[in-house]
Amino acid sequence: MSYKCSRCKRDVELDEYGGVRCPYCGHRVLLKERSRDVKEVGVN
Amino acid sequence: MELRVTESSETELSIEIAGEDHTFMNVLKGALLESDDVTAATYDMNPEQSGGQTDPILTIKTEPGVDPLDALEEGAITVREKTTAFRDAFEAAA
Amino acid sequence: MATDYDVEFVEREDREARFLVRGVTPAFANGIRRAMVADVPTMAVDTVRFIENSSVMFDEQIALRLGLVPLTTPPEGEFVEDDTVTLSIDVQGPATAYSGDLVSSDDLVQPADENVPIIQLKDDQRLEAEADAIMNHGKNHAKHQGGVAVGYRHLQRVEVVGDLDEFEEQESQIVRGVVEDDGELVPTSEFDHDLANRYPGKEVRLEDVPEAFVFHVETDGSFTVDELVTRAADSIIDRATELEDAVQL
Repeated sequence: MSYKCSRCKRDVELDEYGGVRCPYCGHRVLLKERSRDVKEVGVN
Repeated sequence: MELRVTESSETELSIEIAGEDHTFMNVLKGALLESDDVTAATYDMNPEQSGGQTDPILTIKTEPGVDPLDALEEGAITVREKTTAFRDAFEAAA
Repeated sequence: MATDYDVEFVEREDREARFLVRGVTPAFANGIRRAMVADVPTMAVDTVRFIENSSVMFDEQIALRLGLVPLTTPPEGEFVEDDTVTLSIDVQGPATAYSGDLVSSDDLVQPADENVPIIQLKDDQRLEAEADAIMNHGKNHAKHQGGVAVGYRHLQRVEVVGDLDEFEEQESQIVRGVVEDDGELVPTSEFDHDLANRYPGKEVRLEDVPEAFVFHVETDGSFTVDELVTRAADSIIDRATELEDAVQL
């Protein structure tokens, strides 16, 4: 899963063992970025 | 346009006209009432306040000896002719 | 039955017009009006694929805005139902995305106006999307309404019946629409909608002219007023013809 560290703004890859922590700066707040998929929306 | 006759006799006809609304039905009713052969014409939309029925039901009563179905055909022709006349008049002015 | 109609334009522009029709019944006038609003199909965006949307608004909100942008509707016969036209938009902030930024795949289907704002984008925000436009009727969704502000009023005839008392203060008499004065058609906007301005010191009487309706028609830019009115008439003619055929069976 790809996240972005809220302190150093670097992209972070998390695996299920590492816990929630930025490997570069140790910050514990990570942000989930919008996926790059194309999203289809109907106009209602 | 699907038609379903709900009641029919010599001089009276009730017919459901699927897919139409006030736009066409009121014009048609107006045209029917202009005919001398028609004694009464009305339509009813959504007789049941809620639930299924929403298509208009047209009811026509005619003078003795006049088939209401013929009157309906006549009415449709009148609407077509009137609208065509309006269209022509509009295009002439435009 | 041959009915005689008489149509006369009072004001006329591409997108807005006022015209008088003589000889129509109220039922018929209303049928035409309703057909203009709900039964003349126009093009509008129906699905949007977002490639990137880093703006402050949700995809759904922007999709709705794109849907409401009026698009020019191709001439009859050029287009069959279920055909789609794709419009793409790609704007990088800081900028405002306008309807004019939409790039269409078909010359016949373009934004009717170039200056409809869609969203303001700040630094590093971007909107990139593809929108599919389809043809549909006003009764299904307001975005498919070609006629906006369509209505009619009775033509009113003004008659001067006498002079007012010399020292009497004239009260204003407000009318809106078009009045007929001695056969001449005058839009009430010419005298600020007040008969006291046009006939100072006179006593006037107003009456509705039977079977004479003044239509005011404004389109959203999908097509011209002429086009809208003739297509509305066609839609009624089609239905009458269809009923005629159905009854004959």
